[in-house]
Amino acid sequence: MLSNVAPSVFNGLILGAFYAFVAIGLSLIMNLTGTINLAHGSFLTLAGYLAFTLVSKGTSFWFALILAPLLTVVVGVVIERLLIVPLYKRDPIFSLLLTFGLSLIAEEVYRLIWGPNGVPFSAPGILGGGISLGFMQFPTLRLFIAVVLAAAMVLLALFLWRTRFGLRLRAAIQDTEMISAMGTNIQVLYMVNFALGMALAGLAGVLASGLLGLSPTMGNALLMPAFVVAIIGGMGSLFGSIVGGLLVGLAISVTTLFIPAANEVIMYILMAVVLLIRPRGLFGTEGLFG
Amino acid sequence: MNRRQKQGYITAIAAVVLLAILPLKLGSHSVLSLLHLDVSILSEMLLFAIAAMSVNLLLGYTGLMSFGNAAYFGLGAYGAGLSIHYLNMNFIEGAIIGTAVALVGGLLVGPFLLRRRGIYFALLTLAFGQVFYFIAYRANEFTGGEDGMSFPRPYFGFPGWHMDLQEGTFYYLMLLVFAAVLVGFWLIVRSPFGRTLQAIRQNELRVRYLGLDSNKFIFVALLVSAAMAGLAGALYGLLIMFAAPLMLDWQQSGDFVMIMILGGAGSIWGPVVGSLIYVIGKDIISTLTQTWQIYIGALFVICVIAFPSGLLGTLLNSIARRDVGAPISEEAAPHKARESGAPAGNAAVAAEQKES
Repeated sequence: MLSNVAPSVFNGLILGAFYAFVAIGLSLIMNLTGTINLAHGSFLTLAGYLAFTLVSKGTSFWFALILAPLLTVVVGVVIERLLIVPLYKRDPIFSLLLTFGLSLIAEEVYRLIWGPNGVPFSAPGILGGGISLGFMQFPTLRLFIAVVLAAAMVLLALFLWRTRFGLRLRAAIQDTEMISAMGTNIQVLYMVNFALGMALAGLAGVLASGLLGLSPTMGNALLMPAFVVAIIGGMGSLFGSIVGGLLVGLAISVTTLFIPAANEVIMYILMAVVLLIRPRGLFGTEGLFG
Repeated sequence: MNRRQKQGYITAIAAVVLLAILPLKLGSHSVLSLLHLDVSILSEMLLFAIAAMSVNLLLGYTGLMSFGNAAYFGLGAYGAGLSIHYLNMNFIEGAIIGTAVALVGGLLVGPFLLRRRGIYFALLTLAFGQVFYFIAYRANEFTGGEDGMSFPRPYFGFPGWHMDLQEGTFYYLMLLVFAAVLVGFWLIVRSPFGRTLQAIRQNELRVRYLGLDSNKFIFVALLVSAAMAGLAGALYGLLIMFAAPLMLDWQQSGDFVMIMILGGAGSIWGPVVGSLIYVIGKDIISTLTQTWQIYIGALFVICVIAFPSGLLGTLLNSIARRDVGAPISEEAAPHKARESGAPAGNAAVAAEQKES
């Protein structure tokens, strides 16, 4: 029994960490600017393909793991400055639609450049094997992914809670106007915040493409669970996103084991239950976003 | 009858007459055949217009960002398809069952959606819409799964009389349905109920202070919207004789929202104009190039940036200085200001006083 359940629990937690990662990126952007970034999944896919291209051009996986997210940040920030910034003052539906349009364009562009089907992209040999945990074999790649995701989350938390810039960012979520009046350049905040979201998406994209398979729709497949995770964890709460993500990942993997047909619907059931008991989400702040 | 009402009637009659004569042949050609368009494109246009109107009721009139109306649309298509395939229902029964299934979907999801507003509401509609997608996708012995299900189009008629629906007659039936929905929609938004919805858009807090339970109004609006989208979906299923999970997908919802924004939110004709541009534009582009998705996406981006109150809205605003795209124009408050209620509400009230 243990040898059966334990691997799927671990796999579920890693899947959940991905969801949490994407959800945190979405939440960062949503909290500060009210933009629901439907193109978030497209940026994730972009990072995966960039890493694929870098590696196939001969660079090492490790170099690509750092460079691809950085390139994604550059592309993301350029798009934000040019297209999304003018919409911050308008109703959120416009940025929602704009990013929706962008995701349509991106999907087709990826298909044109990298082909409609998935491309093979695997991690280097050193991550190929498995590590024995005594009662089970655990793939090194998954362990590596878990460590990178956890480290990135710790870094993000340190940035947000231990630096002046992070302080301003958190304050701006509560009252943008006041922070602006106190002399902080709000556009820089918006930009850095968006860049953070892109960096998280980029990192998740490169790691996910080794695990889930790289195809034009990879990012969008992670996007919807990430929304659900953000709702379950509570909008405005990064900790909530982490808990929500792990919870959803766990629920999916356990359901897959026992009732495979319901493994996608389970997270929506979870979401419905949370909404009934605690509409603001597990760790959400009441009042933020109505 | 004031001048604006008279204009409204004239536009409505002119539009329906124009739509009715489009497929008629003059000699060996019709306007349609000269444009290389099939008459079923016009049916599709009308049905997408109804679906976009269902979004408009929520977004344009009530101020609720619904990004999940494709769920009801798809439920309508599956309702019609399944009842025809398994229960041998006729055309009218199929359409009614489709609408009813969508309505049940709205009844199930509505109480959850009611709990939140603003972008949180948008997220909930997005997420709950996907539930039905996965159900249709997963129940493959029953629904055909990812490949979808095809079903025949039954005779249209009553006991004692029936007729076979060809593409042409189907279109005229759709035109009839469309006209009825248009009149119904017009009556709803003009009724005290519709006025209350618009009041909720402008300032929900104030509506509650006036003693009205805004949740009840929003719930009914959700159900009306679900039924409209369901009707459109059921008839669309009967048009293409097919139902697939993609009809329930969030990208389909995005198309409906975009159609509405394309024409102009908060106006009766906006979704119709938007649908005309979207459906025919998509048809023409997709025959020209395989990568049509890029152009549709670009259309979205350009429209959002350059025509915030929609093409029709921008046109009317510049001609008559009317406030067609009012609910989600430049002046709309950012999401945080809206929460406190006061600033956005006062602006809306001021705008209304100016108008009258």
